[in-house]
Order: sequence, then structure tokens, then C-alpha cells
Amino acid sequence: MGQVLLDRMGRLGRFLWSGWVGVAGLALFSAVWQIGHEAYGDFILPSPIATFHATAELLRAEETWRLARATSTRAIQGFALTAFLGGVLGLAVGYSAAAMRLARPLLTIIMGVPPIAWIVLAMIWFGSTSGTVLTTIVVAGFPLVFANVAEAVATRDRALEEMAKAFGAGPLQRLWTVVMRHVAGQYFPALAVALGSAFKVAVMAELLANIDGIGVALAMSRSNLDVAQSIAWVVVIVTAIFMVEYGVVQPIRAELERWREAARPWGVKR
Amino acid sequence: MTALALEGVSHAYFGRTVLDRVKLDVRDGEIVSLVGPSGCGKSTLVHIAAGLIEPQRGRVANGYRRHGMIFQEHRLLPWATAEDNIAYPLRLAGVRCNARRARARAAADLVHLDRRDLEKYPVELSGGMRQRAAIARALVVEPDFVFFDEPFTALDVALKRQMQDLVIAAARQARFAGLFVTHDLAEAVRVSDRIVVLDERVRGIAGERFLSRPQGERDDAFVFATVQAFLNEDPLFAHIHDTNERRAS
Repeated sequence: MGQVLLDRMGRLGRFLWSGWVGVAGLALFSAVWQIGHEAYGDFILPSPIATFHATAELLRAEETWRLARATSTRAIQGFALTAFLGGVLGLAVGYSAAAMRLARPLLTIIMGVPPIAWIVLAMIWFGSTSGTVLTTIVVAGFPLVFANVAEAVATRDRALEEMAKAFGAGPLQRLWTVVMRHVAGQYFPALAVALGSAFKVAVMAELLANIDGIGVALAMSRSNLDVAQSIAWVVVIVTAIFMVEYGVVQPIRAELERWREAARPWGVKR
Repeated sequence: MTALALEGVSHAYFGRTVLDRVKLDVRDGEIVSLVGPSGCGKSTLVHIAAGLIEPQRGRVANGYRRHGMIFQEHRLLPWATAEDNIAYPLRLAGVRCNARRARARAAADLVHLDRRDLEKYPVELSGGMRQRAAIARALVVEPDFVFFDEPFTALDVALKRQMQDLVIAAARQARFAGLFVTHDLAEAVRVSDRIVVLDERVRGIAGERFLSRPQGERDDAFVFATVQAFLNEDPLFAHIHDTNERRAS
């Protein structure tokens, strides 16, 4: 037990330490930004420090938190719906070769319709409500999650399933102990992408459908020509994505992918 | 007592009959080897016996309580440690976590798998250790019947010998019966009590030979002499090294 705990602490420590690389990347990014600012002036591209101040000012306002909460709630609801629908339907379709063949052209159609068209349709169906945002998020993220899960199920290791059967596993036990673990390997990377798109699409839908949230705030700072504040809102969004991604999705994935970590040769580990 | 009885088992792949009304009995504590050329249906027969394939006709009656199975590849779960892999059948049977651990360790000791290696994932283990873990997984349920589907074909000669010794020792200690598919006649002579020859021309069992000496007393000279005698003098074994598995029939 102590060993397991120690192992986990070690991995957490390594993960936090790898944060320095992230900081270095951010510093480089700020430097390039500063150069751009000095070349084009305050109006086109405010300096990083000005943006930082604008962000700090935003964060002090009660209203910002309310808007961020509203947008995040919608994004996370939409994301959860995407994860659930994509996971369950992907699992069901992956088991049937016929359903898989039927699903492929449908996916192409869904993915072929531009997201903006979905927003327009959703606005007609749901008006300026959360329903519009949720629909758009699901439509944007579902095909990816669904296709990944279905593909994972279709390419599952039948030899392992046969082994499980030989040791007396019923269909549900095989699904739970063999297939799900295999699927998880492709499900979580797809979820990480879907999560990012959920936030982005939420803001876009809010902006276009005029639904109370960060999208509207962004539209307002645009009409005030307040570039620093616009960028500050973007920073707020990115921070929210970052928190959900590294607070929820990555830890679960790391826990399930420990064996892949073990498979990597020395020297590539960090 | 009969541990396993196959009665009139038939099976065909895409209209090509591989097994036709096969009848085979395995007594308690008896290890039966199935040998024959590639494509003669030995693997199919053992898969049917283990309940992995539904036979098209005939029935399988088993008199054993629990069985284990060892495959040609190790078939360990890549995401589970060696210990969890060995304990996997117990997990399926709903054994509690602590008991599972203790029994997995006992099984690992039986196949001389080091305690330190139990925490490792299959990718971190060598080929021999993986196959040891696979044997331990089959033995962990304390089976009274074990199915072997060409378990050591992929291993090198020295390792193969070690694994055979493991199986011989385990079989003597635990007194399980077994069905052992192999295409290595020497292996069959070493580990089994009876050798059954399958032939694709008769689509089933062509004949069988009992091994005279008890298992503990078979040395290399005996194994070599028996194999030579089978191959050179016994017409039953004339076709076991045929390899034209794609021949249309």
C-alpha cells in the first residue's frame, strides 16, 4: 500500500516538475507577442503585460465569475453528453460490422455540415437558450468520440477475449475486463480533444446566438474595440479548459495508461 | 472416471469439414497429447473441448470441476501487472482481493516466477517469464483439467524444456488431467500418457499410442528412442509432418 502511494507521489512530482517546460513555452510565446506588440502598436496588439492587467481586472469583477460559470457549465454539460453518447453508441456500433458500415456515411454527413450551420439550425430549434449551445457542442464533438470508440471496439484483441472466455468470463465480464480497458486507450485522447472543442464551441454559439456568457462578453468588448479585454476573455477561457483538462481528464488517463508508461524505454520516460 | 468425453464431434470451416464424428475420452489424471500435421484440426478440437467453439454436431461432456487453459501466445492483459494477470481467473470467479493475492503468489511460486517480477507489466517481462505467468494463471484456479494449445511452440529449446518440466511437475503434484496440442512429437512423448494422432484425410483420430514408461522415469534416451521408433517404424505417424495445409479437399 505504502509502495503504491509512494509511486503515485513520484508520478505526481514528475508531472508537476514537467510544468517548468510549460512555463518556458509560455515565456517564449510572451516574448514573440511582445515583439508583435512593439511592431504593430497598442491598438492592434496590446502588450502581454497590458493583457495581464486586463485579465487581473476582469478576475476581480464578480460578473466575470458569473459569466465564466455560465459558459463552463454549458461546456461541461455538453461535453458530458458528448462523452456519454459517443461512448455508449460507439460501443454498441463497434460490436456490429453492419452498423459500423451504416454509421460511416452518416458520420461523414454530420462532419461535413459546417458548425456555423448547426448553430443556425439550433437557434431556429431552441432559440437563444442553453439548448442551442448544448446541441452545437454535441454535434461538434460527437463524431470524433463515437468514431474512436467504435474503431477501438472493432479492433479489440479477440485473442484476449477468447482467453477470458476460456477462464469462464461471461459476455459482460469480457466487456468490462477486456474490451473496456482497450477502448479506454482511445476514448480518453478523443475526450481531451472533445473537451477543448466543447469550450470553444460554447463561446462561439453564445456569441452568435446572443446567449448570456463569455461569448456575449467577448462580443461586447469587440464592439467597444477593447482588444486587451478581448484577449483577456480568451485567457479566461483557456484557463478554464486547462483546469478541466489537467484536473480531470489527464489524471484518469494517466491512471489507466500506467502500463504504457512502463513500456517506454529508459531515457524517454520524461 | 472420465474427465472429458467428446462424442461424435464434427466441425467445418466454410464448408470444409475438419473434424468428422470424433470420439475421445480422457480419464482423470491422464494427459493426452494431440499430434498431427498443420491444419488437421487439433487446435479446433481443443477449442471445442474447452467450450470456446460450439461444435456443429456432437457433444462435449466434462466430468472435471475447474479447468485452466494455456495458449500458444501468452495472452496476458497488457494493462495488468503479472500478479493481476495470474489472479485474473480468480477475479472472474469473484474471489476476494486478499485471497486473490495470496493464491496468485502461490501459483507464481509453483512456476518459479520471482516475487519482484509480479509487480511488472507483461511488456517488461521476458518471453519465458510471460509464459510462466500464463502457466501460473492456468494453475491458480487449482484445476483438475488443463487445456494446452501448443503452449511452448514459440519458445527456444532450453526454455521449452524448462516449461515442459514445470508442467510435468505440476501435473504430478496437482493430479490434473490434460489435453495437450503439439506438433513436436518429442514434447508429446515427454509430457503425456497417451498420444492421439489426428489426420485430415480421416477428418479425425487416426489412432493412438500409450507410453509404456511412467512419466517420472522417461529420460532423454527413452524420449529419443520412442520418437525414432514412432517415426520410422509406426505407420500411424507417417503423415504427421505433412505441411500442405492449403490443399483443397
